[in-house]
Amino acid sequence: MRLRPTENIAQVDLPGLLWTLVRTDFKVRYHGTWMGFLWALLKPLAMFLVLMTVFSFIFAQERNYAFNLLLGLFLWDFFSESTRTGVTSLASKAFLLSKTRFPRWLLVLTSPSNALVTLAVVCLTIVFALAATGRMPSLVALGLFGLCLLSLIIIVVGFSLGASVLFLRYRDLNQVWDVVVQAGFFVAPVVYPMGIIPEKYHFYLYIWPPTAVIQFSRQLLVEHHMPSLKAFLMLAGVTVAILGIGLLLYRRFAPSAAENL
Amino acid sequence: MPGNAIEVRGLSKSFRIPTVRRETIREHLFGLFRPRRYRRLQVLDNVSFDVRRGETLGIMGRNGSGKSTLLKLLSGIYQPERGKVSVYAPITPVLELGIGWNPELNAIDNILLLGIAMGLSRKEAGAAVDEILAFAELEAFAGLALKHYSSGMASRLAYSVAFKAVCEVLIIDEIFAVGDASFRQRCEDRYRDLAAQGHTVVLVSHDPRPIQTFCNRALLLDAGQIALEGTGNEVVRAYLKLLRAEQDPELEEKAAG
Repeated sequence: MRLRPTENIAQVDLPGLLWTLVRTDFKVRYHGTWMGFLWALLKPLAMFLVLMTVFSFIFAQERNYAFNLLLGLFLWDFFSESTRTGVTSLASKAFLLSKTRFPRWLLVLTSPSNALVTLAVVCLTIVFALAATGRMPSLVALGLFGLCLLSLIIIVVGFSLGASVLFLRYRDLNQVWDVVVQAGFFVAPVVYPMGIIPEKYHFYLYIWPPTAVIQFSRQLLVEHHMPSLKAFLMLAGVTVAILGIGLLLYRRFAPSAAENL
Repeated sequence: MPGNAIEVRGLSKSFRIPTVRRETIREHLFGLFRPRRYRRLQVLDNVSFDVRRGETLGIMGRNGSGKSTLLKLLSGIYQPERGKVSVYAPITPVLELGIGWNPELNAIDNILLLGIAMGLSRKEAGAAVDEILAFAELEAFAGLALKHYSSGMASRLAYSVAFKAVCEVLIIDEIFAVGDASFRQRCEDRYRDLAAQGHTVVLVSHDPRPIQTFCNRALLLDAGQIALEGTGNEVVRAYLKLLRAEQDPELEEKAAG
């Protein structure tokens, strides 16, 4: 009997491989300890203190500035770190790619796992802090916030699928992306409130996906203000488009990935 | 089960090697108006053969004759350019594994990662860790990061994992050149077990001995084509002749004349 190409390799234990990849990535990044993980949280916290000291004078009359900065900073950190590891997700696992055959997208899918653990811990802390100070957001708002995070994760995965196969051909793509991320930090309203930008430019800022995610999260969690349906649909559209383009690029270039290592 | 495990028909593969390689966006931008020159390296040229179920097929050839590329095509790691590879049974590739590790992780984590990627379930891999370490005689270094391993230790570990995660067809590259005499002996014993169980094996080696001992059929690859298909002994003789001709072309011409 003729086997289809997907069957001519051993059946891979997908959940087992997924878990092992996540676990070993965590081990390599944090030397396998939760202390290492907490240590890694110090970097964005230090950044928060610096920015807070500098900008709280400028934006002194903004309500919730410290909270908005903290939330924006951690969301931004997730985006920048996970897209950076996403670009090199295939190349950095060359040792598996050139020797074995298993679904390669698994490497891309697990690449944001470290950043995701950080994000989850921070988000839970923030929600607990809000609850403790008696400003618990409604369940609907929490659900919508979850949807925002989900769409951010899908954007990261979609981007990583496309970028990881392109990186094998263009080996300075990671440096180009570093520059984009650095500029993007100022396109997204992380350190400044959206209000200081004239309304007519908002549309262009919202095209940069982190802007929408950060703004919606702030509105949902502290400002108790529901973003419009149109705004949500726009975010959903951008998410689907990025995932679609990423999948197309991946399908086009992934079969020859091992030949370009 | 009778029949073929792998059928290869008219398989060709070439690599485009730019005389100046452009690997970055910067180089592509600056090179936009300069013509690109390529050298086409024909690694495999119209190769056809069968691997029968249950047999051990040997492949010999000099460096650069296309052996490794052929193995990667059989394993599905590379895509054929022309021709077809039809595979009728699950394959475990064991390809120059000495460098297939995450250097930051210790032996146990690397065993789990590679074992699961090669087809063991997480449970099976976890249960096999001790056995694999014992087979490689590396129990004392289980907690050591792979970057501190010698290349011999790393290869031994790799082959030990691969020998645990065997599917129906096993493709092995130069295994009997790894490790000391006792490790080689264990590999050969394990190989004999597998062959006796009816596993199909494709065995690549520079060393005449395993080809002569284990292969009732073998191929000699030269410059991307099959120069000879015959018994293990015939192929080894032709291979040694090729090597002598390479070392001393004049002598060979005299002998031929």
